Amino acid sequence: MVSQFPLFLARRAVNAVVTLMLMMALVFALIHVVAPTPDDLARLYTGAHLSQAQLAEVAHRLGLDQPLWVQFLNYVVNFFQGNLGTDTIYGIPEILVIERFLPITFEMVVIGSLIGVIIGVFTGAIAASNRNTPTDYGIKATYLVTWAAPPFLAAIVLQLVLAYYLNLLPPSNVADLTLVAPPAVTGLPMVDSIMAQDWPYLTSYLHHLVLPALTIGLISFGSITRITRASMVDALDKDYVKLAYMKGLPKRNVVYGTAFRNAVIPIVTLIALTFAFAIGGAIVVEYIFAYHGIGYFTVDAIYNLDYPAILAITVIIGLSVIVANLVADVLYGIMDPRVRLT
Amino acid sequence: MANAAGQAAPDEAEVPLGESSGFRFIYRFVKKDKASLVSGMIIGAFLLFSIVEGVLQQVASYVKQPSLGWAILPTNPEIIDFHSSLAAPSLAQFPAGILGYDYNGRSILSEILYAAPRDAVASVLVVLSAIIIGMILGITAGYFGGWADEILMRVTDAFLAFPAILLAIALAFLLGNGYYTVLVALVIVWWPTYARFFRAQTLSLRARGYVEASKLSGIGSARIMFRHIFPNAVDPIIAIATLDFGNVILTYSTLAFIGIGVEVGIPEWGSMTSEGLSYLPGVWWWALYPGIAIMMIVICFSIIGDRIQDLVGGRLTY
Repeated sequence: MVSQFPLFLARRAVNAVVTLMLMMALVFALIHVVAPTPDDLARLYTGAHLSQAQLAEVAHRLGLDQPLWVQFLNYVVNFFQGNLGTDTIYGIPEILVIERFLPITFEMVVIGSLIGVIIGVFTGAIAASNRNTPTDYGIKATYLVTWAAPPFLAAIVLQLVLAYYLNLLPPSNVADLTLVAPPAVTGLPMVDSIMAQDWPYLTSYLHHLVLPALTIGLISFGSITRITRASMVDALDKDYVKLAYMKGLPKRNVVYGTAFRNAVIPIVTLIALTFAFAIGGAIVVEYIFAYHGIGYFTVDAIYNLDYPAILAITVIIGLSVIVANLVADVLYGIMDPRVRLT
Repeated sequence: MANAAGQAAPDEAEVPLGESSGFRFIYRFVKKDKASLVSGMIIGAFLLFSIVEGVLQQVASYVKQPSLGWAILPTNPEIIDFHSSLAAPSLAQFPAGILGYDYNGRSILSEILYAAPRDAVASVLVVLSAIIIGMILGITAGYFGGWADEILMRVTDAFLAFPAILLAIALAFLLGNGYYTVLVALVIVWWPTYARFFRAQTLSLRARGYVEASKLSGIGSARIMFRHIFPNAVDPIIAIATLDFGNVILTYSTLAFIGIGVEVGIPEWGSMTSEGLSYLPGVWWWALYPGIAIMMIVICFSIIGDRIQDLVGGRLTY
């Protein structure tokens, strides 16, 4: 059994790479469907109103007049070298913009998804062990509401109540604007401020993090509750659970010890989905909380018609979702050895 | 369609619950369940209103008589009247003022109602197109297997690697900003899920006795796929589709919120919220009520979707 694990890993990794290549082919194809001629492509990448001669010059410089397969090869090679084009608004390489903003969003989304997963798993388990009681219906009603709420509504309601009416939390920004951010080593604000031992910044940052992360958690926990509940209901009907009851174990031990441990395994794959959903949600959430991460930058790019930025962000986030899926697959394989055989 | 399938299928026992007893069964089920009754009524009202209002708007623009477009609304949703600018919701001003007014003095209620057909059309068109594309590709790939299947799976993997909202942004952005391009973008985002559902269903039905029997009696592949496999595969997918009507509205309005697919001056639920954003926290009604409208519709769709899922019984994997 153990010897099969490397094979399982390799198969999943190959799968992820194939998906990545296809994803890039997809984005590449889309660009070329929209802009079939070199001049159109040049206009897409420069965004400025250039003359015909200038467009031809740009197209030649960027290699947009070469055959399609050469262009695709260039695109892939450039991607792996971190060359994602130049931002038409800031005039700097996209990769620098992404390096600056992505970690901020990453930290927020990971913490937000974690909040969502924790709420989801526990409410799901509670709902399943109190099946068809008012508790169960209450949990169902709660997640129906948060799940059906558009992300912007959830964000606005939390901002209104917690920041404006109760004055508990700051309504916007990543940290207090009077504070200087610690030097970017990892790019992750929390890690950086701990490394620089910048406690005032860390405190302010954590204060500002609560609202967006909580919003992400709220809009994403519903699907986890749902699956956990279904999985727990299945597990609670199993013979080993009945046996545990017959042995006289208290209900709490049976539910959270025996059934829960078996029911929680399928939820690992859901975590990657939650992460993807949370990154999507982050676009709107960051915009509302003026939280300057990649989501805020995306909305900015939309308003500025910044094509290279949108394309770069799309590919990078696609990549991060593929990596998240791979991690979830591998975790699943570690937790449930039966999966490795498939 | 379901009855035709029932007659064609030799093993009646395989036909999912609810199909054999037809509408009477659904009626009995719904009568017991008040939540889905209420949601069904709200969805029905939403769709009915959207049809009437949508037709009125189309006719109004066709005969160049704009006032026809708001004939059944409390007030003109495009009027500018600074007397009522940012007026708070009050029951005294029933019905136009119960949800308050925006900066231009337009009634929020009128704007929400005026925007309803756009969301209804978006959800119905997107889900139906995604189902049709997904059905053709998914059933074909699942039925023939081999390379076609492998390619479909990998291509859908690539599509599903993106968060829906992000892919829709990129597509709508590339295709050019507008209502119908956003719908096209949403279809492109949505079809892979249905292709996967139909493929999984086809794989499980392919080995059934009646499919084997049809093959042996020399019936063509196309006929088997769409007369024998499709009707038996579609039931669990109806439940998913019902949930997706809500999901499409959510995604569509989120796109509108960040300024994609909206036209200046035409009210839309998502874009109303983003316009109202800068007036928070004082003017909460402008940003909140359109979002609440979306939430209500989505909740109703998911309650109905859940109920249908219980009815057809099957859990769906993809």
